[in-house]
Parts: sequence; structure tokens; C-alpha cells
Amino acid sequence: MVCPSMPSNVVRSRFSVALSVWRALFLREANARLATERGAWLWLLLEPAIHIGFLMLLFGVVRHVLIPGMASSLFILVGILGFFLVRNVAGRGAEAIKANAALFAYRQVRPVDAVLVRAALEGLLYGLVFVVLLAACGLAGVDVWPRDPLQVLLAAALLWLLGVGLALSLATLGTLVPELGRIVSLFFAPLYFISAVMYPIASVPRPARDWLLLNPILHGLEAMRGGFFPAYRGHAYASLSYLLAWSLGSVLFGLALQRRFATRLVAQ
Amino acid sequence: MIRISGLHKRYRGAPTDGWVLRDVSLEIPASSRIALIGRNGAGKSTLLRLIGGTDTPNRGEVVRRCRVSWPLGLSGGFQGSLSGRQNAKFVCRIHGAQAGLDDKLAFIEDFAELGAAFDAPVKTYSSGMRSRLAFALSIAFEFDMYLVDELTAVGDAAFNVKSRQAFQDLAGRAGLVMVSHSESTLRSYCESAVWLHEGSAYRFDSVDDAIQAYKKSMTR
Repeated sequence: MVCPSMPSNVVRSRFSVALSVWRALFLREANARLATERGAWLWLLLEPAIHIGFLMLLFGVVRHVLIPGMASSLFILVGILGFFLVRNVAGRGAEAIKANAALFAYRQVRPVDAVLVRAALEGLLYGLVFVVLLAACGLAGVDVWPRDPLQVLLAAALLWLLGVGLALSLATLGTLVPELGRIVSLFFAPLYFISAVMYPIASVPRPARDWLLLNPILHGLEAMRGGFFPAYRGHAYASLSYLLAWSLGSVLFGLALQRRFATRLVAQ
Repeated sequence: MIRISGLHKRYRGAPTDGWVLRDVSLEIPASSRIALIGRNGAGKSTLLRLIGGTDTPNRGEVVRRCRVSWPLGLSGGFQGSLSGRQNAKFVCRIHGAQAGLDDKLAFIEDFAELGAAFDAPVKTYSSGMRSRLAFALSIAFEFDMYLVDELTAVGDAAFNVKSRQAFQDLAGRAGLVMVSHSESTLRSYCESAVWLHEGSAYRFDSVDDAIQAYKKSMTR
């Protein structure tokens, strides 16, 4: 029996090895995420959609809150999807090393590849979910066309980058010190309440607002909303460069951790 | 050609002075067929993993100037939740075989003879099925140097004959670094040997001499 021959190049360049690993990992991850669980596509859409519906009910029916300068449905949608983007990229990315441990038997696959590819996949999926839900809102009669699409994209990209940095750091720390991973995930739950997901930052009184503004996720969410409606006042508080500093800082920190502990991440 | 220089390796949490390998330097020409001999825990598999790049040394370096396989063993690097086909696809893709993917998959499916189980998750496989898949994957790629960790004949009688034949073809066209506890296997495939003893590597020009030295150290 003769096996079909390999490509003729003798030793592949590092770049082409990395590209083929990313491609293979991406397809593997997408398959695991969307094809193994029953109705995975549906859950992907339903989780944020149900969350949004619930909050809209709370806002519209129970409290009759009006967000100045913005449709409240869009306000909630942007807040929740933006927050879920960071949470899912960070949370799922952090598990990428454990989930792919068996594949490090091939030297071409590095732990950092697994985290980056999973973060990219999660970002892509959330981009799709965002577009679908926006379209649904648009069909329901809400004006969903952003006044400043570039700012929306930039803020979303920076939020994603923050998620990547967190994923890289948490993946390393969580693998080396499992207890630490558990403690960090405890801190993720209250983040939901201090990230201005369901209230505009402008409505928070002074001393508390200054504290909340330390949270980089909040800046991203408010900037995204500002990109949809320039009249929205939260925009005035949001600083994309503050978010950028956090995002770049966390990515650099995460990459440094991955580089420093690469050996111990592979050896299980 | 593989050049190993000043290799040191120890594992975290190992007993005191746990150097598995201490200052090991070797040169392995691409066409040579080398047996790794030593008692259990002497560092044979460790050395193989270091050559294959799946583990990193504490000191020293390994330079690979040819296409080197991953350490071929029967447990294989498989993701349990994915099917045999998906695992095979993954391995093909990371080895840059995207263009000939269908041919490769057909070859692996044909050789492993798993039937419908090829599309079932690997975690449902018996150990025999697993090793068939691992074997089929191992011989599906052309490398200049194969690292072999106790991978020879597997499966029932019929598969055994086929896999022995395939392994002989493979050993005839490329270099080998081989770990096995079967002396006859080492004698028939290898032409020189490295004896690992107390962290050091000793090079022998014949397999028999190395086995002799190894046995002498056991009786003393």
C-alpha cells in the first residue's frame, strides 16, 4: 500500500506552520462549538436574546425607565452583547488549553495558538449574533443604523482585545494554579453589575461614578452606545484610549505569561 | 540531520537530583536508524519527546534540519470528543496536507479498517481501535526521520501482518529513532544504538554491543 505523497518542500517555514495550525484549530474549534451540541446555533442566539428580552420587560413594563437620547431596546442590546463578548472570549479562551491538551502531542501546536484561535472564533460568532439581533430589532421598527459605525466597530474590537488579554492570562494562571482560576471566575459575576450593562453611567451619582469609571468594560459599552446615538450622554464619560490601554496591557501581560510558562503549559 | 547539544532535562516534583538526562550530546544523520536502549525510567521516551519537540529541555538545544515526525506511539494525540475522521483531518492540516486532504483521509480510513467507527468519537474506541487509528495516522505522512515509541505491530493477526509490512516499508525509506523493549525488533530495524544510563548517553555502532552493555549494567 502506497501512501499519497506530502508536499515537496522539505522544511516548512515557521509562518506557514503557524498558519496551517491556526486553520486546523479553527476548524476543529468551530466543529466542537457548533456541531457536537444539539441546537448549538440556536442557543448561541437564544442566550443573549432571552437575556435582552427579560431586561426589556423589566425596564419597559415594570419600571418605565427612559434612557435619554437612545432607544432602550438598543441600549440593552448593546450593553449585553458587549459584555457577553468580553465574558465569553475571556471565559472560553481560558479553557482552551485544558480542552486541547491532547493536541500538544504535536510540536506544531502551542498553547497560545489554542487560546488565540478560540478567542477569534468566539469573537466572530458574537459578531454574527450582534448583526442578527440588530436586524431583528430593525424589523421590529427600532432605528438600528449607527450614526458612527467606525466608533462602534472600534469599541467592539477593543472589548474583544480585552477579552483576548484576559483569556491569555487566565488560561496560564488557571492551568498553573487551579485555585486561582476559580477565584478569578468568582470576580466575573459582579462585573456584570459594575459595567453599566443595564443603566447609563450618567445616571450614577458622583462618587460612585468615579469608581465605576475605573472599569474598562464600561468605557467600551458606553462608547458603543455613543456610536449608535451621538445624543446619548454616556458617551461623554467613555474614553476609548483608557480601554485601549487596558486591552493592550492585558494582551502583553497574557502573552508574556504564555511565553514564560510555555513549557509547563504543555507538560501536563 | 538532528543535532542535540548539551541537553539537560529534569521534571518538577521528581526526587532529589532528578536529572533524567545530563549533558547529552548526539548527532543523528537523517538516514541513520538508531535504537534507544535503557532500563525503565532511564529517559528513553523523554529523549524521544525532546527530539520531537513536544517537550523542552531545561538546558541545551535540539536542532532539526529535516522533517521529523511526532513521537509515534499507540496512544496517540487524540481529542476524545471528536471522531476519528476529525482527528485525522486535524493532524493532516497541521502537517500542511490541506491540498491532498481527501487522498490522505481515504488512505487512513482504508488502512485503519475501522468501518463506521471512523466517524464515531474517539473516546468510544477500544484500545485496539485506537491503536489502529494511531498506526494508520503514523504511516500516512512522509518524514525524513521517524521517532518511534513502542510502535510496531498492532491489532489482530490479519492487521498485524499488514502493519508489519507497512512499518518495514517505512523503515526502509527513512531514518528511525526507536524505543522498544523487544530486542529482536531493535535488531531487525536498527543498525546502531544509543544506551541511556544514569543520565548519560553512550553511542554504539552495533545494536548487539549496546544490548550487551545494557545487560551487563543490569547484572552488576
